[in-house]
Amino acid sequence: MKLHHTLAIGALFCAAVVTAALAQQSINSSQMATSLANVSGNNRLSMTGAQMRQAVLDNIRDNPGALPPRPMSFPQLEGLTQFVVEVDFDFGSAVIRPSSYRTVGAIADALHHPLLLGYGFLVIGHTDSVGSRQSNVGLSQRRAEAIREALVEPFGVNPAVLDAVGMGEEQLRDPAHPTSGVNRRVQLVNVGKKFCFGHSGEQFVCQ
Amino acid sequence: MKRTSFGLALLILIGGGGAASAQTMSYAEAISQIATVCKNDIARFCKGVPLGPRLRACFDANAARMSPQCQQTTGVVYASITRRATAQRDIGEVCSADILRLCGTSFADANLVTCMAGLAPQAMSPRCYQTFVDTGWATEKARP
Repeated sequence: MKLHHTLAIGALFCAAVVTAALAQQSINSSQMATSLANVSGNNRLSMTGAQMRQAVLDNIRDNPGALPPRPMSFPQLEGLTQFVVEVDFDFGSAVIRPSSYRTVGAIADALHHPLLLGYGFLVIGHTDSVGSRQSNVGLSQRRAEAIREALVEPFGVNPAVLDAVGMGEEQLRDPAHPTSGVNRRVQLVNVGKKFCFGHSGEQFVCQ
Repeated sequence: MKRTSFGLALLILIGGGGAASAQTMSYAEAISQIATVCKNDIARFCKGVPLGPRLRACFDANAARMSPQCQQTTGVVYASITRRATAQRDIGEVCSADILRLCGTSFADANLVTCMAGLAPQAMSPRCYQTFVDTGWATEKARP
């Protein structure tokens, strides 16, 4: 049997909370871009995707148990703009269902929006608590990478601005209901300006 | 002579010269056409194939067996996606002279797109104008 991994969609501004849930069909890439572009000052993520992936594994090692004792916190993400979307995957797999193709296309539209030119993004995948913590980290990592892969080809997002992180169940949105669908989500985080552009259109890494 | 692209051919057909030239689809619209029209073909021939280069390769490999509607849709959709992605990638280079002359700004921020959207099409070189249209940014900025 196939399970739809559905969950609410909301725009998160900084660490603050959420707008009303939207139907999946109505994802508006302009809204998404505007939310993601709402950057205050020169906020940049002060850790790499690789460090974040390691922190997730360390959290399982340091806080063993069937469930994480508390949702992991990443103070480094505070002050960064984010957008949370729902993407349906085949059950237990990293294959995006056709019902979510439009959502991935909308993410691509948003990341190509002029407001977001040159910015870098983290694609963070989250699961619910069904399955082991370790395997959920692997599954969410593969899912985040599947989204990254589709954004790059065919949608032409520069792979250098995208990193993928699998958070597994280490940051449940609703820890009181760890198997609830609201925990399954994909988080897009604007990690700050990566590329600047010169007068001839040439790209260079921002200082 | 360079191979005439699909976009340019269309532009010539429509007549160019400041008339609105053929638009590319948004990525969301484009890929959802495939999800809708090719739903059954994906389930039959490309089940479990990830969205991305492998899905496109699966469409190519099974073209002869797919429904004519899906075959046609994948052709149109991937052409549009490629044209938009190429334009978004290359516009800085294609338009660098126009941008410097008309907008006096460094490339690739929202201000620049606003400047370009406010220009008369004839003000830009035809190639720059077509590339700008292909990016989809002109219509993007028109939205609230």
